[in-house]
Amino acid sequence: MNNTSIFIQTVIGGVGIGSLYALIALGYSMVYRSMGLVNFAHGSIYMVGTYFGIMWYAGLVMGLHVPYPIAFVIGVLLNGAFGVLLERILRPLAKLDLMFMLLGTIGLGYVLDNLFVIIFGAEGFAVRSPLPSMPLVILGVRIQPQMLLVIGVSAILMVALQLFLARTKTGKAMRASAMDRDIASAMGVRVNRMNALTLAIGSGLAAAAGILAAPIVYVNPAMGAAVGLKGFAAAILGGLGSIPGAIAGGLIFGVLEAISAGYISSAYTRGIAFIVVVVVLMVKPSGIVGEITVEKV
Amino acid sequence: MFLEIENLTMQFGGLVAVNGFSLGVAEGTIQGLIGPNGSGKTTIFNVLSGYYKPSGGKITFKGKRISGLPSYRVTASGFARTFQNLRLFKSMTVLENVLVGMAQHAETGLLSAIFNPIAISHEEEYFHEKAMGLLKLLDIAEFADTLATSLPYGHQRRVEIARALGTDPKVLLLDEPAAGLNETESENLRKILLQIRELGVTICLVEHDMKLVMGICDRITVLDYGKKIAEGTSSEIAKDPVVIEAYLGQEDNS
Repeated sequence: MNNTSIFIQTVIGGVGIGSLYALIALGYSMVYRSMGLVNFAHGSIYMVGTYFGIMWYAGLVMGLHVPYPIAFVIGVLLNGAFGVLLERILRPLAKLDLMFMLLGTIGLGYVLDNLFVIIFGAEGFAVRSPLPSMPLVILGVRIQPQMLLVIGVSAILMVALQLFLARTKTGKAMRASAMDRDIASAMGVRVNRMNALTLAIGSGLAAAAGILAAPIVYVNPAMGAAVGLKGFAAAILGGLGSIPGAIAGGLIFGVLEAISAGYISSAYTRGIAFIVVVVVLMVKPSGIVGEITVEKV
Repeated sequence: MFLEIENLTMQFGGLVAVNGFSLGVAEGTIQGLIGPNGSGKTTIFNVLSGYYKPSGGKITFKGKRISGLPSYRVTASGFARTFQNLRLFKSMTVLENVLVGMAQHAETGLLSAIFNPIAISHEEEYFHEKAMGLLKLLDIAEFADTLATSLPYGHQRRVEIARALGTDPKVLLLDEPAAGLNETESENLRKILLQIRELGVTICLVEHDMKLVMGICDRITVLDYGKKIAEGTSSEIAKDPVVIEAYLGQEDNS
């Protein structure tokens, strides 16, 4: 294997992991944009979504083994419905100071993490990929089939989200209520309902990320902590509140991680990725796509 | 009465912004609301459109009480408004700004967006045409795909009116629509407002441009310190000594 194909392989791996970070970063950014809420329970919501899908696939519910695509859809929908419930819980927090938001959402995250320890036990389990585990070899570049699935499905979800926000009337209403909730509600938009939908979409995307990641990572109730933090860093890197920013931030973060693991040392992966984030923010505090400032009234 | 404000009081802490204000507005008329700055005009609009819950009194529209309802429900019952300081949706085009208000009356919801894309595309087409019609009415159709906030001030005012009309209002509340407009633009606005009345929309107008107010309002109500001090047609108001002292006199000094 030559250097070029190793590099390409590393970048593809980074894009794969990065798409997962992007899906999670979208949840942070969309909720911040529409409710002004920094939701630190999002990592736990990602974990919950993973279980909501994988439990059907991995035989945790009455020994059922439903096909992976069906488990995926069930997980995304269940977590979406869970997001609607979360809006009701988080609504009072969105009006408070950042300190209360942090405490409230971190607390909610702990409750979810421990609730799942009680239900499913603290020890995790490995999930087998629905696709063959033999890597595909294309022009000397070896790629895991699951990684291609991750990249493909994430790309479809992100394009679908953009089309939904830009083209549909509900998408327009969501954008409007994020931009100016008073005016949106004067235009007849039900702002609380839009917030619920935002949390539903953010949670659904987090579930999608978790169910796609499950065959690559180890599923357990503590899995949300590290990924949640990286997704948040990715959202900040791209510019918190910006949708293209969340996608760009996630991909950049993933590729950085993969390159530093491949070329420097996997022991320093996180350190290096976070250092880059800090440096970028020192140069451009609003993030990469941060020219759109989010104003809250 | 079509729109009836009865004994409305709005208090903020110790400050009484509106004090026992009553007003009846007949359908299809243009009702002016004038008074010196701080006399409570915008507060009345904010109560009317559901931003504030009144401290006292009530508002009924076609016999149904609307005071105290959340603003999206007030809008759904047939009210739309514009704002004194322009507040367009920043990163949206002119057309999108108008579509936001329109979309809320749509019959197809999120589920049909997923399961019945054809019905949606018909509906979108219908909304699109209707929005373009409103932009034509306000003579800004050529800017449909321009970012709303990049337009000159006078045009942005018209986008706000188009956006408000997009919600299909029975009553249109205009808060100083002529502010910052020059003579020609103000004259255009006058024609547009008359056209809107032709469509059967009742207009409530808060405005400092006396020429405009006197020229188009069927009835004018004068406020001072949150209280009604006079009411009548423009010629009656122009002759009223109380008004001249409280309002027009002060206008000359400023």
